[in-house]
Amino acid sequence: MMESMIRPEIALNDFLPIFISSAFVLVFGSLYVGIYTAVKVNMLKKWAMPLAYLFWFLTCYMLYIMGSLMHVGEFTAKVLVVAMIGYLILPHAIYYMQNQVHEENGH
Amino acid sequence: MANNYLKSESKQLATWYFTFAAIIFGAQLVFGLVVAIQFVVPGFLYGVLDFSIARILHINALVVWMVFAMFGSVYWLLPDETGIETVGIKLGKLLFWIFAAAIVVVVLVFLLVQVGPADNTTIWFITEGREYIEAPRWADWGIVVVALGFVANLFLTGMKGRQTGIVTVLMADMIAFSGLYLAGMFFTNNISVDQYWWWWVIHLWVEATWEVFVGSIAAYGLIKMIGAHRQVVEMWLWIEVAMLFGSGILGLGHHYFWIGTPEYWWEIGALFSALEPLPLVAMFIHVLYDWGKETGLQMAEVHEGHKIEGHTINNKPAFTWFVLNAFGNFLGAGIWGFFHTLPQVNLYTHGTQFTAAHGHLAFFGAYATILVGMMYIAVQGSNGIKVLNHTKASLWGVSLITGGVMGMTIALTIAGYVQVLVSRAQMGATWAAYFDGQDGVWFQQAMDWRLLMGVVTFVGFLFLAKDLLSTGKSAVHIR
Repeated sequence: MMESMIRPEIALNDFLPIFISSAFVLVFGSLYVGIYTAVKVNMLKKWAMPLAYLFWFLTCYMLYIMGSLMHVGEFTAKVLVVAMIGYLILPHAIYYMQNQVHEENGH
Repeated sequence: MANNYLKSESKQLATWYFTFAAIIFGAQLVFGLVVAIQFVVPGFLYGVLDFSIARILHINALVVWMVFAMFGSVYWLLPDETGIETVGIKLGKLLFWIFAAAIVVVVLVFLLVQVGPADNTTIWFITEGREYIEAPRWADWGIVVVALGFVANLFLTGMKGRQTGIVTVLMADMIAFSGLYLAGMFFTNNISVDQYWWWWVIHLWVEATWEVFVGSIAAYGLIKMIGAHRQVVEMWLWIEVAMLFGSGILGLGHHYFWIGTPEYWWEIGALFSALEPLPLVAMFIHVLYDWGKETGLQMAEVHEGHKIEGHTINNKPAFTWFVLNAFGNFLGAGIWGFFHTLPQVNLYTHGTQFTAAHGHLAFFGAYATILVGMMYIAVQGSNGIKVLNHTKASLWGVSLITGGVMGMTIALTIAGYVQVLVSRAQMGATWAAYFDGQDGVWFQQAMDWRLLMGVVTFVGFLFLAKDLLSTGKSAVHIR
């Protein structure tokens, strides 16, 4: 029987949570912008909007779990916070630009 | 496919490209099945078609059919976008035959000669030995000539006719797409240097130039199929191009973690790779936005008693494949890519079946879907159909292919997870550890499932091929 050599970088039991949380970062992130856009173009009722922001919050939480399990450095942690603030603003900015183009074209 | 409905020679040429692409697509799946069987039954075709050769054929056929379908897509949309016939169409037709003949010869050499004497004659006449672009050097030069002719046609037509945003983006994109191929054509005697340049081709193709190409095609498709507003669509396109190049070019760093390149690539690769899913989310929202706007318009028009002509989806199979592209790109390239792109995780996942899982879903989701969609747009145009509806075969085709690829991806992900835990984390990535991972019951069962799902995918392809060949004559469409 070979002696097992556990590597120190990531704990063995942390692999699955890392994979799952990283997948949910994207899933929740896309749900946030997806619901936001769908409400804006009247595909969903207005009451769904708080759900969009709930998903943004969940995206942040998943990123926090993933980052802490992977032991990211201090600088990276700061970058992640800035990224999430940017991600909160992103769909608003894009929708605003889209709408302006629509207005200009009377569409 | 070509007939009386096609007045444009450029569109006729496009149908040639699509037809050859579909044949090579079939070949890709056949060789994929061979390697999947060899994982389960290692002695299968031993000495006749070894794993290494079948794998070469599987992944090179993938690249080749996609390049053919991309060229076809450009030749199809050029007359619509520029308002004129493609300049140099005779040259285009000649280059098609040169390209197709070169591919046939290369495939025959791979099949019949297989292995060379390991000197320069191998590189020149048998295989260059670089994954995805294994064509020997004589064929490399042939491909360069073909690509130059194609780019020349695109530029001359784009400069002479109407210059839309879509054509402008394609002109810039295609020159980068062709130019990057040169980075994979010279020999170096250092594996790190070799891999460094080789990734310039593969990564900067699939995560930069090809993705931008998909953005352009999606823009064209949305205008054609649901009458989306050009200025809105082109604005999205510029946003996507900026995001794709902004994240994708330096995302190249995630291939430079462990090949002997400087350590600063860890930070660069991690940061820009993490940004890479953003444009994919944007593309997904883009489709949702236009679809939503059009649906909203339709509802408003019905409500006000207007006619709704021009605001229906006029090609349902193509639109299905385009929507699948938006989701598949995000899922395959985005989620399955993000899974293992950060260096802390990639240290364990690198070169396991995780990579194969990502490769399968990303190539299918990002490229195969939209190119099949373009084939349906060509079928519609070739047969003068006003509204192309689904047939039973098209529904079976799209369901089985999508289900099959998804199933293969999940199976390969499980296999990769076993390798990460056993081969890498527990046993420390030694040579013996590799076999410990391969011997696991979870790994072996995952390979059984991958084969089964590969068969499902192939059956789906047969339905798709039948539909592409026969749907033009079907009575379910509005002419």
